[in-house]
Amino acid sequence: MSDQLISKKEVLDLTGISYGQLYRWKRKNLIPEDWFVRKSTFTGQETFFPKEKILERVEKVQMMKDSLSLDELADLFSLSASNLKLTKEGLIEKGIVSEPVLNIFLETQGEMDEFNYHEILKLYILSNLLESGNIHMEEGKMLLQLLNDHQKILQQPKAVICFIRKLGISSCLVSMSGEGVLLEKGTKLAASISIEQCAEELKSKLT
Amino acid sequence: METKALGNLIINGVGSVNGGAFHKVEINGKGTVNNDIECEKFNCNGTGTIHGNVKTEKGKISGAAKIHGVVKAESLSVNGSASISEAVLSRKLEVSGSSAIGGSVKCDEMVLNGKAKIAGDCEAEIFHAEGAFKIDGLLNAETIDIKLFGESKAKEIGGRKIKVAQHRESLFKLIKSLFPLKLEAELIEGDDIELEGTSAQVVRGKNVKIGKNCEIGLVEYSGEYECSTDSEVKESRLI
Repeated sequence: MSDQLISKKEVLDLTGISYGQLYRWKRKNLIPEDWFVRKSTFTGQETFFPKEKILERVEKVQMMKDSLSLDELADLFSLSASNLKLTKEGLIEKGIVSEPVLNIFLETQGEMDEFNYHEILKLYILSNLLESGNIHMEEGKMLLQLLNDHQKILQQPKAVICFIRKLGISSCLVSMSGEGVLLEKGTKLAASISIEQCAEELKSKLT
Repeated sequence: METKALGNLIINGVGSVNGGAFHKVEINGKGTVNNDIECEKFNCNGTGTIHGNVKTEKGKISGAAKIHGVVKAESLSVNGSASISEAVLSRKLEVSGSSAIGGSVKCDEMVLNGKAKIAGDCEAEIFHAEGAFKIDGLLNAETIDIKLFGESKAKEIGGRKIKVAQHRESLFKLIKSLFPLKLEAELIEGDDIELEGTSAQVVRGKNVKIGKNCEIGLVEYSGEYECSTDSEVKESRLI
């Protein structure tokens, strides 16, 4: 990964949090275990973090910790399904999905009145891709088919969904651990989107 | 848990059973359970062996139990020489005997009076130790209170308040020369750190107080710093 790394000391300097807070957040799973990158330096081993991710996370936690408890925050950051249910109106009101996209979704999935977290996430990914103009309606249906067939994609934060096209024929695929996908010369990557990013955007819209 | 209507599992002597859900599980003797068990009360007094996970409200292990799996409990007390091959999750955990845990430990309150070996990380809100322990991963707790009684080791220690004290009784002076009361760690990080008898490569914190008999490679502090003359600190930096 080409992510820039930042040492633990620099994180504390830049954000003003203390060691105690950092360790508490780690205990509460506010900072995922795999962000702790150990590297050896001249003073022994030191811990590094992916720079952008950790700074963004610390800022979010600091901003929201007054209104929410740390456990609630952990739920917010984790990808596990929270017991949340929304209606069609609620979804449109919160700006998660527009009406035309919702209609496409209902067309393929069947009519429903209440949406659970996984369905909302599917919807959000669909609306994100459709509204960026990178994929068209048929491909949107393909995406829903893919997500229906492989439910576990939504629980895998590192997964990246890719749309490829060659000679006007399109297809989509998922890289479960988020590694780059190499393409043959005639193939074009039409769109790619990461589950983790979607889930986080979605969660911030939901609160 | 709907275990009220369930029966009890009691093994007195030699016996083997296939696991399942029970109200009360008691193993007195050489019992073997070959699968996962779920129960309200778990009591193991002999050399019980469990090939599976244990989920219980209240667990007590007094003999030399061997559990090949994860233990999940509301409160768990270990008095004998238990060995648990995977993680331990418990709201309250008390270890008084010598136990070995192959995975990581996660609990709210941990009291350690005997000898414990933990191969993974150890996370708690309150960690209280009066004994010898060896933690191969990170010891992470809000409050860490360690009274040294033997040789203890942790790879890394992190928390808000970390206090390590050496035992003061004069009777121990004789034995002390034979068995050093020492805590060894590579890295100690916290807000308020008070150390005695500790050897560490790096200590980082806001307020750092180094007491007697310490050997520290590097101290980095941002608030107050105090160092006793009995200790050896190679380098200290204000940041």
